[in-house]
Amino acid sequence: MTALADRYRQAGRRTRIVVIALVAILVMTIAEVITGTSDLTSRSTASAALRLAIPILLAGLGGLYSERSGVVNIGLEGMMIAGTWFAAWGAWMFGPWEGVLLGIAGGAIFGLLHALATVTFNVDHIVSGVAINILGLGAMRFLSSIVYTGETGGSVIQSPPVGGISNVDLPILAGGNLFGWDTPDFFGWLENLELFFISDVAGIIRGFTGGVNWLTLIGLALVPLTAWLLWRTPWGLRLRSCGEDPWAAESLGVRVLRMKYYGVVISGVLSGLAGAFLVLVQAGIYREGMTGGRGFIGLGALIFGNWLPAGVLGGSLVFGFGDSLRFRGPEVVRSFILAVAIGLIVYGIYSFTRTKIRAATIQTVIGAAFLLYYLQVEEVSNQLLAALPYVITLLVLAAASQHLRMPAADGARYAKGEAR
Amino acid sequence: MKRNLRYLALFAVLTLVLAACGDGEGGDTTTTAGGDTTTSAAAEPTTTAGGDTTTSAAGETSTTAAAAPDGTGRTVGMAFDVGGRGDLSFNDLAAAAWDNAIAEYGITGNELAPDAGGENREENLRLLAEAGMEMIVANGFAFAQNVWRVGTEFPDTLFAITDDCPQDDTFTVVEMPNVRCMLFSEEQGSFLMGVAAALKSTSGTVGFIGGVETPLILKFQAGFEAGVAAANPDITILPAVYLTQVPDFTGFNDPVKGKEAALALFGQGADVIFHAAGGSGLGLFQAADEQSTDDTHLWAIGVDADQYNSVPDDALKEHILTSMLKRVDVAVDKAIVDFLNDAFTPGETRLGLAEGGIGYATSGGFIDDITGDLDGYAQQIIDGEIEVPTEPGA
Repeated sequence: MTALADRYRQAGRRTRIVVIALVAILVMTIAEVITGTSDLTSRSTASAALRLAIPILLAGLGGLYSERSGVVNIGLEGMMIAGTWFAAWGAWMFGPWEGVLLGIAGGAIFGLLHALATVTFNVDHIVSGVAINILGLGAMRFLSSIVYTGETGGSVIQSPPVGGISNVDLPILAGGNLFGWDTPDFFGWLENLELFFISDVAGIIRGFTGGVNWLTLIGLALVPLTAWLLWRTPWGLRLRSCGEDPWAAESLGVRVLRMKYYGVVISGVLSGLAGAFLVLVQAGIYREGMTGGRGFIGLGALIFGNWLPAGVLGGSLVFGFGDSLRFRGPEVVRSFILAVAIGLIVYGIYSFTRTKIRAATIQTVIGAAFLLYYLQVEEVSNQLLAALPYVITLLVLAAASQHLRMPAADGARYAKGEAR
Repeated sequence: MKRNLRYLALFAVLTLVLAACGDGEGGDTTTTAGGDTTTSAAAEPTTTAGGDTTTSAAGETSTTAAAAPDGTGRTVGMAFDVGGRGDLSFNDLAAAAWDNAIAEYGITGNELAPDAGGENREENLRLLAEAGMEMIVANGFAFAQNVWRVGTEFPDTLFAITDDCPQDDTFTVVEMPNVRCMLFSEEQGSFLMGVAAALKSTSGTVGFIGGVETPLILKFQAGFEAGVAAANPDITILPAVYLTQVPDFTGFNDPVKGKEAALALFGQGADVIFHAAGGSGLGLFQAADEQSTDDTHLWAIGVDADQYNSVPDDALKEHILTSMLKRVDVAVDKAIVDFLNDAFTPGETRLGLAEGGIGYATSGGFIDDITGDLDGYAQQIIDGEIEVPTEPGA
């Protein structure tokens, strides 16, 4: 046990993430066996979690670009609203992919507005963000009353139904079609073997790879792309330097204002894409208020993820997974609570081996509390179900004891040529 | 810096102007509200029965009034809730009754809709009262506290509030001499929906999706589950799914979550799902359409209006078994007629199956073979032989 823990400590970050994920699935599998449910690691739970996570992920990534360039962006929600409206309009007028482009453009316009206010006119970032959110709602309703009212199926609060973007099964991994060749469904086959743990891992991967949407794949691909762009290119270094210390960046010849514009407009682009995803992949219609605070949750995922792309992905999956579980009924959530209890206790033991006595105590006590709740309560209350993603977020933040560090000059007012 | 401030001011003004444009929807339609301009979308939900025949909203509601009262020179204000005209649901139903009163009885009046967050509900009531409206319809349970406040300030103005009674600052229900609360026995209609679901299910499993877990929506769940159990106790009722919890009311308008919840329930073997989730119900209809195969035809049951007629996509109609009708238009019409006949009574009025305020839709003809059963149960409820619970698990 100690030897394994030592090996884990010496491993690279990527390996660690894989190990954590595998341990989490193993714990959930054990909980499933104990409670006799199967939906915790099933294909449908995983694919629903992914679908629910993507809009949050895209908004969170949008926030990442903006805040890494030093502009706080609570206008993500408003930009996403613009994205939903324009995506629906584009898809209705032209076609689904045109809808995606127009949704992106709609979000970008609001991003530009936020950039204009915060970067050029030095408006307080929060004030401008709130204005963007209010403006997004009001302006889209105004447009709906002009464009959609009176059309078949449309009204002042909704668009006519629009065509969506198709789903694909990935070749080989999930039995997709590759240049006319029907590839084998590897993970589907593995899942159907019903082997302990292995089939559970396969089920989750199958859920992520089978029947996925093109836009989902694009969204997932944006995570490594963002990591590469921001941490492996000169452009990314410049953008991040504006978020850490714009005055120093300026002294080194970085065009700070321009970089901030890039950051904020890209956040509009990604929020618009999130809106397009809601309309074109999930709902097939624009409906007023359909974003339902996902922009704000994206912001939460950003903080959860410590302003890092992979962290944002993790945060959005927590929220997506929480909702996905909730919709599958109290039995599944109850077994999940058992999984959390086991996981925390295991983590406590691991902390103990590292002689982190205080952390170990806290984790074990909370784990024991969850275990007690599991043993005492027959049916989990609906209110607790709804709070679940937020509870998980708090637990992860507390348990991982990671020190969050936002970009140093995030939200700072900066004027070109001024001393700090 | 000074120059920047000037731009900032310009920006702020533009923002306000644009935001105001968006909210102006309610005000804009005032001019068109008088005549026959009610859109077909608004009129359709009031069709109660008879497949594809579209009875106009005016025709429906005027039949409930025995003799059309004279409303010349009388004023009635209409305060819509979030969504306003065009919501294809309770606001459109109230609008239909009000438009009809203008056209048929000759009343005049102003209408106002709140902004998307609903923060100015109270302001709207006050504006209508100050404009001299003799009676004001507050269309939605969210007005409960606002009606208490404005109703106290304007004791000579009459108020009619939908779905709830006025409440004071501590959320205690207050009896007021100038306020009527228009309540419905939603559980009775939901009971019939439960019967329909039980009789039409072939898989033996049914489900329920609620928008937000409030006492009002729990009534739907309670009635539905009681109806299923009454018609066929062997049917499995999956645990009810609520999309959000108070105070997050986005669950009434989130088709994405509605769809995921429906996919989860269909995945667990349900083949009929009843929703009381407002705009999120659209997601349920889509899920039913997507998940249906040649072997299994999945059903959804609509709520409030006849959703067979109001869904935006014809392909979805094939999956809307029936809808529970909640005739907000009947209640509003009754309040206006009582007011015009000087017979306005404060306090609770409750419309159920017996009063024609609750019903079910037969559009599409999918339940033609079981209307006898449904009407039988309805009669038993009216006669008091069946008492429908208002809380789940009772």
